[in-house]
Amino acid sequence: MSIVDVEGLKYKYPDTDKLVLDDISFKVEKGEFIGLIGRNTAGKSSLCFALSGLIPHFFKGAYGGKVLIDGAEIKQHDMGEIAANIGLVFENPFSQMTGSKYSVYEEIAFGLENIGIEREKMISRIDESLELLDITAIKDNNPFDLSGGQMQRVAIASVIAMRPDVLILDEPTSQLDPQGSAEVFKVVENLTNEGITIIMAEHKMEKVSQYADKVLLLDNGKIIDYDTPANVFSRDDLLEFGIAAPVVTRVAKALGIKDAQSGEYPVTLAEISRENW
Amino acid sequence: MSKRSMWSLKLSTAAIVLIPAAIGINYLGKLFAGLLKLPLWLDSIGTVLAAMLAGPIIGAASGIINNLIYGVTVDPISTVYAITSGVIGLVVGMMAYKGWIATIKKAIVIGLVVGFVAAIVSTPLNIIFWGGQTGNVWGDAFYAYLISMDLPVWIASFGDSIVVDVPDKVATVIISYLIFRGLPNTLTNIYRSDEIEEL
Amino acid sequence: MGSMTLYVEKNSIIHNIDPLTKLLYVFVSIAATYIVPAHEFVLLVAAFSLLLLVLGKVFVKILPIIAISIILIISIIIVQGMFHPDNETILFSVGVITFYQEGLSYAALLTLRVINMLSAFGVLILTTKPDELIERLIKKGMSPKIGYVFLSVLQIIPQMRATMAKITDAQRSRGMETEGNLLVRLKAFFPLIGPVVLNSLNDTRERAIALEMRGFNTKGKKTFLNESQEYPYRKVMQLLLAAGLIAAIMWRILL
Repeated sequence: MSIVDVEGLKYKYPDTDKLVLDDISFKVEKGEFIGLIGRNTAGKSSLCFALSGLIPHFFKGAYGGKVLIDGAEIKQHDMGEIAANIGLVFENPFSQMTGSKYSVYEEIAFGLENIGIEREKMISRIDESLELLDITAIKDNNPFDLSGGQMQRVAIASVIAMRPDVLILDEPTSQLDPQGSAEVFKVVENLTNEGITIIMAEHKMEKVSQYADKVLLLDNGKIIDYDTPANVFSRDDLLEFGIAAPVVTRVAKALGIKDAQSGEYPVTLAEISRENW
Repeated sequence: MSKRSMWSLKLSTAAIVLIPAAIGINYLGKLFAGLLKLPLWLDSIGTVLAAMLAGPIIGAASGIINNLIYGVTVDPISTVYAITSGVIGLVVGMMAYKGWIATIKKAIVIGLVVGFVAAIVSTPLNIIFWGGQTGNVWGDAFYAYLISMDLPVWIASFGDSIVVDVPDKVATVIISYLIFRGLPNTLTNIYRSDEIEEL
Repeated sequence: MGSMTLYVEKNSIIHNIDPLTKLLYVFVSIAATYIVPAHEFVLLVAAFSLLLLVLGKVFVKILPIIAISIILIISIIIVQGMFHPDNETILFSVGVITFYQEGLSYAALLTLRVINMLSAFGVLILTTKPDELIERLIKKGMSPKIGYVFLSVLQIIPQMRATMAKITDAQRSRGMETEGNLLVRLKAFFPLIGPVVLNSLNDTRERAIALEMRGFNTKGKKTFLNESQEYPYRKVMQLLLAAGLIAAIMWRILL
């Protein structure tokens, strides 16, 4: 059974006429890393909300189709029941700090207290998350006394500690400086090695091609393509959908460097150095 | 529009998180009024906005918790007026639900109602706790004047409160109304309790 | 960036008392001073509250708090001293201004009550960590959501203040009017409060989303990272306080 199964998903925000999600269907297998790309109005954030249950439970509006996470249909359960199964991290690190805790350690505990994890297990999960996100050094700091990159890693840790089936990252580095971005991508890499299923919406195509098993290209609320990075970025019509391929690929396209067998362009720097070209 | 009664106690997460924001807006409103040397408190804008956005229960909660927080972080005297603040949120919420936030004229009416109700609620509090006064210079001067005219304490105290509350609350509601009207939909529709439509 | 509490970190007997017991003290001592309108009694209770502050090594901190209410106190003394309806006996006069004994006596009673109120609150807020107090209340049955509201206010407001300081500076460089007639100053209010509201409502929307994803609405029993602290003599103190309150009520009813 696929860990994520979306069938004919349609959605419209309240008081609007346009469908932001228009008949979306796709599956994600356990442990896969999906890169979600598309221009700003394509519906990436709305899709992230739909996978986490915020659409429809938080935003209300008009909803059609099905989203199943690990077999459970999102629409049929309350937010309270499904929140622990899906982790969502979004752009603004500041608004993801609850404000009710005075240390990073307790901040991570917030979610675990809410879902009723008993104390011993709580402590071991928090310690694990601190390690994974490389924030053990700041565990006693006040969450608001941190840099953007640190805060965002605390946000990820807080969500990971709840052991979700799927981790959704909606442009997690857009509001961070280069150092913060680098810190966050480094821990994302750590997480991919843990076998966690990740869906990440991103504009930095180099990162997408580096981590993603598959790329989901959205435009106008519809799926344009859902394939390997090589296949998606080798398309000629990317500019029509408001995105540019990774630099490597663009250079390769200009120079006509293709893989002899598959006809695809390289998508990472590492690939170019191999001898198939 | 909203299918849930305004008295529903099923509070959404969005409505609950609105309360600290309302208190912050109260606090900053008071700060700016002081900075600009305005002859008004303007310390309830957040409470009034919360009531307009999310109804009387959240409005009342914002008011009450606002005074409790102010009471334990700056001035314990404020805790006494938690009831008054709560009533302000309650009244605005009720009138907003019944459609009174439509025009400036209606907003002025809300302001007057709120001002008078606040004075009515504060008067017994003032009498019980500090003999009828409010601690406001102009209001207490008026109190002294009324007492010296041999009027009973409760009338003098009510007069004191009217001077302090009514102009401030009318201004507060008008300002809040103007701000509310300018808010984009995405910020206001998460507090409603609509049903999910089928597509 | 500090939070808004007045809590003073020290190690004293008062600091080590159960937060709920201190909360109970606030109610009981204030109620008692209003139930029993005798000067000697109220003076005793106020003195006791002040003594607790001394024991808590935080006496100095109560003075600025009392200073905030100084206008109220002075106003009470003046208005009651000069205008109290039962005024008969002249105590002293300065030119046309006459102060009467009855009014001043009443003013003294009110002032003592105010000082006791401020001091009793001081015992609670100067010696208690807010998250400990809230956690005790939640364990006793208060809704964790309300507890969240109290705690988050204390940190969110200083954050809002800091963000707004940046906006105020920007406005000032564009010529914010702190002078000018009333209408000009009133109009200047909007470009200040407008961004505050938009900013905080946006923040609220995002924080609500984050909280939902952290199980804020999950039903079922909550657990706690921090272990419950044991407070010796907690029951004894609470019983004494309750008894004191009942005694005061009885006094009032029977006399």
